[in-house]
Amino acid sequence: MQLPLNEIALFMTDFLALFGVYLIVTISLNIQRGLAGIPQFGLMFAIAGGAYITGNMATRIAVWILGIKTDLDPVIDCTAVLSMVNPMLNTQPMTSFILILIYLAIGATFGAVLGLIQVAPAIRLREDYLAITLLAFAEIINVIATAYKPLLGGAFGVQVPSVYGWAGGYRYGVATLAILVIAAISYLYAEYLERTPLGRTLKAIRENEVAAASLGKSLVKYRAIAIVIGSALCGMAGTLWTLYGEYVTPTYTRFYWTFLPWLMVLLGGIGSNRGALLGTAIFVALDKLIIYYKHSFEAFLPFDVVWLDYILLGIITAIILIYRPQGLLPERPYIPKDIRKRIEEKIKQF
Amino acid sequence: MLKVESLNSGYGKLHVLYDVSVDCDKEEIVAVVGPNGAGKTTLLNSIFGIADIYSGSVKIDGEEITKLPAHVIARKGIAYVLQMINIFSELSVEENLRISASYAKIPDIDKKLREIFEIFPILSERRKQRAGTLSGGERQMLAISIGLIRDPKILLLDEPTAGLMPLYVDLIIKKINEIRKERGISVVLVEQNVKKALEIADRAYVLVSGQIIFRGSPSDLASEKEIMRLYLGMGE
Amino acid sequence: MGWVSKVEIISLGTLISALTWSSILSLMAIGITLLYRTTKVPNFAHASFVTTGVYSATIVSLMGFHPYLGMFLGFILGGLEGLVLFYAILEPLRRRRSSIFILMIATLSYDILLYGLLNVLADDLQTTYKILARMIYYSRLDFSIGGVPGVAVISLLALITTVILLYILLNRTTLGVALRACMENTALAQTLGINVSLMLLFSWFIAGGIAGVAGALLPFYTMCGPYIGMLYIAEMFCASILGGLDQIYGAPLGGFLIGFAKVALISVLASFVGPWITEYAPIIPLAAMAVALVLVPKGLVAIKIRRG
Ligand SMILES: Nc1ncnc2c1ncn2[C@@H]1O[C@H](COP(=O)(O)OP(=O)(O)OP(=O)(O)O)[C@@H](O)[C@H]1O
Ligand SMILES: [Mg+2]
Repeated sequence: MQLPLNEIALFMTDFLALFGVYLIVTISLNIQRGLAGIPQFGLMFAIAGGAYITGNMATRIAVWILGIKTDLDPVIDCTAVLSMVNPMLNTQPMTSFILILIYLAIGATFGAVLGLIQVAPAIRLREDYLAITLLAFAEIINVIATAYKPLLGGAFGVQVPSVYGWAGGYRYGVATLAILVIAAISYLYAEYLERTPLGRTLKAIRENEVAAASLGKSLVKYRAIAIVIGSALCGMAGTLWTLYGEYVTPTYTRFYWTFLPWLMVLLGGIGSNRGALLGTAIFVALDKLIIYYKHSFEAFLPFDVVWLDYILLGIITAIILIYRPQGLLPERPYIPKDIRKRIEEKIKQF
Repeated sequence: MLKVESLNSGYGKLHVLYDVSVDCDKEEIVAVVGPNGAGKTTLLNSIFGIADIYSGSVKIDGEEITKLPAHVIARKGIAYVLQMINIFSELSVEENLRISASYAKIPDIDKKLREIFEIFPILSERRKQRAGTLSGGERQMLAISIGLIRDPKILLLDEPTAGLMPLYVDLIIKKINEIRKERGISVVLVEQNVKKALEIADRAYVLVSGQIIFRGSPSDLASEKEIMRLYLGMGE
Repeated sequence: MGWVSKVEIISLGTLISALTWSSILSLMAIGITLLYRTTKVPNFAHASFVTTGVYSATIVSLMGFHPYLGMFLGFILGGLEGLVLFYAILEPLRRRRSSIFILMIATLSYDILLYGLLNVLADDLQTTYKILARMIYYSRLDFSIGGVPGVAVISLLALITTVILLYILLNRTTLGVALRACMENTALAQTLGINVSLMLLFSWFIAGGIAGVAGALLPFYTMCGPYIGMLYIAEMFCASILGGLDQIYGAPLGGFLIGFAKVALISVLASFVGPWITEYAPIIPLAAMAVALVLVPKGLVAIKIRRG
């Protein structure tokens, strides 16, 4: 059934899939930082959480839904169990579809819970304490995932059901499409959120720490809401990425899943969703190109090209911060129509 | 002595002062008054190189100090008493004075200390006390002394009587006037307490929304009923 | 389980290991706290400063000296890294009046940059000198005093020396008093003629240097690679926060509490529930930090000061 995909199509699917996943993450960051002012330096926590919980639960749930009777452990013996699950899924697009939705729901819920756990100790505190706490908590997820064997089978990771298998040669195309649909929904949701009273309150908190402090209890509430929404999105991103690759290992790193999204948002302009879109596109394209041309670099570099990534991205971030802190497509102040009309009338009066 | 000419300044992108010109002659007390947020503190910050200057100039005795960093300006015979946290509360009263004097390269610090304690005897009693434990009035005296011990030609004071009870207000205003007379210092006095400031000032400026809307003698200002009522909350 | 076996649960070896780790962790945390006091920014690049110390020891040992001498090179290299971070990135940002948040990202990005460079260095050492530059471990080169590994003694001495020198610097020298003035009230310090930027620059050199010293001791305690700083950065912050982010001498207190909790407590736990629990040791510092943030956000030292 394998259709001969040419290289460009393959490159594009790959690019779009990664772009979609990162877009969900940067949108999430925009909601947390751009809207609510939370310095989310531990994005990786909820993303890895979504990915790992999918790795742990996906096969289990598929076995249960498909009514397969087996004594094998769905994590430790995943290969054996999946040899029963995958052939059935390949002929049942509808079941696969339902499974995807269940996985997404689990990823989102788990992400949200992790977000709350992560922010809880510092939710009342200042920006700097909050940043440290979020970063520090994110670091433990891999400790647990590696140490607690039943979660992902230890350091080697686990396979998940191939929920797009029914599409045959188009499976990666369909998987990418699924990612892009969720990304588009996230984008539109973020745009909508900005215009709601909730969104405006969040922005007010971000703009004024004193006002934020005087909010007291409700500051905690609003921060919690932003974290929950953002982390749920991150959890889904982790789930989608796992389903796309059909495999997950406890190797989500701060560089790829916290730092890079930050860089994308910074480049685009914090708080601006269009900016996030642009920043994400630029960086994913760069990343893909570097990987694509990796071998030509390697010829004349005495070290692994991947480190060049780190060095360059570190420098680029500093340059953006110093020379263009507002990003390429800065946030535009959103003024509701009725208020804008009133302002215009006032101006006319004078 | 001090000459500020068509100054435009602010903080980063926040433009606060527009074309402000202020000057202060030798042994003169110049009062700068105006509503909250008018930019009075920003004016002093600009003189001292703490705010960002976009255009215009600041000169001391004809010497250009515009855009010099604060720590360099501090060595030009000018002292600035900040509005808010203007003492080191972790250090003792004496340490506060000593650190200030030592950075001003005062040759005989002990002698200077005795002079200060003559002006504000209460500080002498509190010399070993942690500055954070001083009362509001004592704090302001210490803050002024920290400036004074540097032997400045020009003293910038930002609301030295804010939040003090009337007894202290009178005392501090009286001391400022004495200091000027006895030591021949020029004083730029930013005050909320307009009435008191005008009592000792030779000239006054009114700053509103970053612009000077009045300059002249205190008595002229007192007759500007409109300004007094609208911007300074004074009058019938 | 009888009383006697409970006493044996915590062996002398474990205690010495806890002591060693506590000293090294304290050295790392002191710098973080110092920088937070002077520049008001949590320095995430501390991770790479520490790793730089590790490779300083490696370089020194490749040059034919004992890797302990890496402490000196580590101090200089770590200090220079701090210097560059402040001068090239943070100072321009401060001049633009950037927010704390922007400064935090800046330290994070500098950390990524250094991490890349350190990996390049490791690759290079590996190919040039044919050493396992990603698995640096000098336990074999360590000496021992009556069965006590040298690193325990050296780390504790390094910590004590650092604290004493820091105390003398901050309290007995003009430079130090000026630095303290900057910490307490930057604006006032400025108006007195203190060059605040220069003072901050100085604090970045010192803090980076101390991190480098800690890093140079690390390969005597555990296996190190370019990732080692990042692995412990959360723990460094936990120690720093537990001691009180604005209490310089709180950092060793936090370091010892966390160090002993992680190494000694976990080994007690292990003897009860089984050795599997040791894999979860990295969670202990975080738990301690979480509790501290909720109960005493200003850190443990602050409690004592409030009472005294
Ligand atoms: N350090 C600063 N950074 C940024 N903005 C500032 C800073 N200090 C003051 N501002 C802003 O500059 C404007 C003018 O403030 P300024 O402190 O100069 O007023 P003021 O006349 O001294 O008021 P007050 O009588 O309350 O002291 C205000 O809008 C204020 O928010
Ligand atoms: Mg003011």
